Amino acid sequence: MRPRTWWLAAIAPGALAIAMWISSPPPSRANGEKDHVDKGGHAHVPAPLDYADAHMPISGWTDPVMIARGKEIYVTKCAVCHGDSGDGKGPAGAALPLKPPDLRDKAGVAEMRDNYWLWRVSEGGQPEPFKSKGSAMPPWKADLSVEDRWAVIAYQHTFSGHQGPHVPWEHPEMVQVGRDIFAMACIQCHGVEGRGDGSVGATLSPRRAPQPRDLTSGQFKFRSTPSGQLPTTADLFRTVTEGVRSSGGPLTFGLSGHRIMPSFRHMPVAQRLEALEFVKSFYRGFWERAPAEAIVIPPAPPVTAERLARGKQLYADAECLACHGATGRGDGPSAPTLKDSTELPIAATDLTQPKRFKSGARPEDVYRTLRTGLAGTPMPSYADSLEPDQTWDLVYYVLSLSQEGIAREQPRGGGR
Amino acid sequence: MKKLLILLAVVGAAGVVAWSVATADEAPISGTVKAIDAAGKTLMLQTVAKGKTRDVTIVLKPESKIVKFVRPTDPGKTGFVEQALSLSDLKPGWIVSVTTRHEGDKEVADVVKVVLER
Repeated sequence: MRPRTWWLAAIAPGALAIAMWISSPPPSRANGEKDHVDKGGHAHVPAPLDYADAHMPISGWTDPVMIARGKEIYVTKCAVCHGDSGDGKGPAGAALPLKPPDLRDKAGVAEMRDNYWLWRVSEGGQPEPFKSKGSAMPPWKADLSVEDRWAVIAYQHTFSGHQGPHVPWEHPEMVQVGRDIFAMACIQCHGVEGRGDGSVGATLSPRRAPQPRDLTSGQFKFRSTPSGQLPTTADLFRTVTEGVRSSGGPLTFGLSGHRIMPSFRHMPVAQRLEALEFVKSFYRGFWERAPAEAIVIPPAPPVTAERLARGKQLYADAECLACHGATGRGDGPSAPTLKDSTELPIAATDLTQPKRFKSGARPEDVYRTLRTGLAGTPMPSYADSLEPDQTWDLVYYVLSLSQEGIAREQPRGGGR
Repeated sequence: MKKLLILLAVVGAAGVVAWSVATADEAPISGTVKAIDAAGKTLMLQTVAKGKTRDVTIVLKPESKIVKFVRPTDPGKTGFVEQALSLSDLKPGWIVSVTTRHEGDKEVADVVKVVLER
């Protein structure tokens, strides 16, 4: 090579380095990251449990009155950033580090779940990961009622051109991530279509309850909601996280006290939430119900000998002993005849073995079970027949039937 | 060989220039107005960058613009029009987006755009 060529070859890397140094914004200058700007930064992460049960009433998506109300709010509060046409190019939005999304993008909108949408409108750019991306989206929960926020969302939805309701059965894309997780972790027991007919599940306790849940049935045992209602997403999350223990019974080979549904505690929270969004999509009732409300569990009172005595009386009066037996071993006179809602024989839980309590053995867990019942099983709800304080009496008596329960909840005020 | 090397060098230099131009645009700073010093001609913004909240002081020079966007009042006109504001018009709590340039160790505003008044 000639000297001039050498000079060119030497200066090129230097020029490149100088250009990189000049063009890289010092970290103190801006809070927007170019990568996020380019991608729009709109990661459709699952909504947190506080918002997971929020769903637009299905008719709202196409309700002209609601859409008109949403438009009225949108043009005054949102369009300056999101644009009059929803293209994300409003004059104020153009200067933002994290650009508003293009709501005309059918594919992008199809992936957005309604609870995610409400979460974003309500909390704005405050939650992570949007905060770190420099989102300037204001939180609107203090300025707009929930109905108004849904109205704005219904109007924004019209930009995508989709005419129907924005629900998973119209846009399977919105639960695609959860579907993939379900395929890896759940179909072995719950089956491809969630009917509880996976290849492994039935072998756990053949011809006997419990069988893997038919997720299309809308019946869920472990809830914090009143009898007859669907669980909250937090209830489903608890079940997935804790797993389900076997209550015993003659045909649960070697499984007494062990989990018949494994704990998915090891799975990242976001993945569990994604999987649950897919699970919920098996049953449209999750989108058709009124807002889910969990029962209130009052603070646990102290355990006293008097309370235990009252609980023992209630145990007899409420006919708990008919199934669970006088000593709580699950050997009451009705126990052999018990069947679940699918007509499969089901064992009464052995109350002397708290580790077999499917919905948990802490006092508040037992309280919840007594108030809600276990849907699809003979275990009824006592919400209508017992006062809250009486329920605590019964909780402590049930726990006193086991050595573990006695050890955990030492009686006070008189002893035993 | 010589022509090839010169061609490679030119293409490389052009690429570097193009890349620099493409990436040199400064991302704006957005945040909530925390304090206004009308006498000192500064604006303190609370911003979040990489998950950390911090305060950034923006210096306003005579040529710095402060604008908000309003609906046009002319009949038949749609969209938004810019409305000039002064520094004293800004209020703590408002959300703004600012394009800045570095002057020494100072962030000097080119344009302050009001995103939300609250």
